[in-house]
Amino acid sequence: MNTFLSITLDLLEGFGTTCLIFALTLALALPLGLVVAFGSMSRFRLLRLPVRTLVWIIRGTPLMLQLIAIFYGPSLLFGIGGFDRLTAVIVAFVINYACYFSEIYRGGIEGVPAGQREAAQVLGLTKRQTFFYVILPQVIKRITAPMSNEVMTLVKDTSLARIISVAEIIMVSQEYTRQGLIWPLFYTGAFYLLFIGILTLLFRFLEKKLAYIKV
Amino acid sequence: MDFLHVEGFRKKFYNTEVLKGIDFSLQKGEILAIIGASGSGKTTLLRCLNFLETPDEGKVYLDGELLSDAKERYPEGTLREKRKKFGLVFQNFNLFPHYRAIKNVSLASDLAAKERAKEFRREQKRRYREEGVRFAGRLARRDGAKFREEALKESARRAEELLETVGLGDKKQSYPGELSGGQQQRVAIARALALDPEVLCFDEPTSALDPELTGEVLRVIRALKGRTMIIVTHEMKFAREVADKVLFMADGAVEEEGTPEEIFVHARSEKLRAFLKRENSGD
Ligand SMILES: Nc1ncnc2c1ncn2[C@@H]1O[C@H](COP(=O)(O)OP(=O)(O)O)[C@@H](O)[C@H]1O
Ligand SMILES: [Mg+2]
Repeated sequence: MNTFLSITLDLLEGFGTTCLIFALTLALALPLGLVVAFGSMSRFRLLRLPVRTLVWIIRGTPLMLQLIAIFYGPSLLFGIGGFDRLTAVIVAFVINYACYFSEIYRGGIEGVPAGQREAAQVLGLTKRQTFFYVILPQVIKRITAPMSNEVMTLVKDTSLARIISVAEIIMVSQEYTRQGLIWPLFYTGAFYLLFIGILTLLFRFLEKKLAYIKV
Repeated sequence: MDFLHVEGFRKKFYNTEVLKGIDFSLQKGEILAIIGASGSGKTTLLRCLNFLETPDEGKVYLDGELLSDAKERYPEGTLREKRKKFGLVFQNFNLFPHYRAIKNVSLASDLAAKERAKEFRREQKRRYREEGVRFAGRLARRDGAKFREEALKESARRAEELLETVGLGDKKQSYPGELSGGQQQRVAIARALALDPEVLCFDEPTSALDPELTGEVLRVIRALKGRTMIIVTHEMKFAREVADKVLFMADGAVEEEGTPEEIFVHARSEKLRAFLKRENSGD
């Protein structure tokens, strides 16, 4: 029986997977992006060049392709079993978003005036203290707007997971489409809108919180 | 013996020689004013003194001891200790925009306090262990936390006192963005004083300010008389009034050096006379 309630519950399960992909990607890509940003700003060419090349490749090719490469790549190339489906999605998303985030971090870090670092240096702060107490808070302020864009894109990108048959919400709804029931597909839009709405409010709150910093 | 002695500072950027061998010395408690046309190397000199740039050649002696030699490579920790002997007030303040005035002033000593507390906790732990006390770790943590709290309180108290000294006792909770240029520069001066440097340097502290705001900053600097200070300035009247010694720089070298009287009244070199004439007609 396909009641509205049963379909909603079914879609909610798919939405759970959507949220899981979103949350895991964010939790892992945010710190990893910072590491990638440091790599791409390194003084050492041997580190900087490969990192920048990686960022170029990841940002220059579709996420869908990366997803397929990571899921099928290991078995095609080495004949070994690769990741399970959900892990492959998480790995692909984390790498992809870490690269996008790294460019945002880089812009944010390079945008902090040199005088800030120098003032900290003159006061005898260590490099670590300078980064965490002086630079990073200003970077956070500078990157909230571009980050909010990227995070909203991530919400919608999760729908790509169905390419390798991970049952996120759109894939679940397509089961009904196959049965001739089209409205559940459009119904998923409501879930996305709700999610994006909450994120919008969160980011607005964050921006208000950080408004006192005039950079 | 001179309190501060700078010997043979040379600095090249690519192929241009910006400092061509600078020597000078200063007694404890004296004020040195540095004047000179823009591009003559004044900022670079202060930056070398504060270890923001490494000179290609040159030595600094402080209080009779060799503080730094351009030929030596110092490890980061040593360098930080050396840096703290000097304070620098920047032309454009460089306050930390995300901290309130009081935190701008106390940040460095807060962080130092936290480090010391950590050190103290480790020592206590070792001591408790040696005495065979049970729960050594927990007791040490308690002692460390207490130490830290006391030290932070002291740091905040001192920052408050310094803000009062620069006439900003009522602005301690303001963010830099909420303060005028003159007020920001006064916070920056308090911040530089917080570590009680042996030599306090100012790089054109009023040149980013509207004319009506320079007075309040100069007043604060004047009140610091008694500290050893190096002031790069375009305010000729001010330099003449506060300085014990004046250095005139031209093209990366000390062109003339003397008492304010010798520099401003009995200028010898042609370059200095031309410079003073330009400055006077500018006002
Ligand atoms: N980081 C740098 N790289 C290249 N040239 C520099 C740098 N800093 C200063 N200079 C040059 O050194 C000269 C002296 O500069 P500066 O010390 O700022 O002079 P002043 O403070 O007396 O105006 C100028 O010609 C300036 O262009
Ligand atoms: Mg200058």
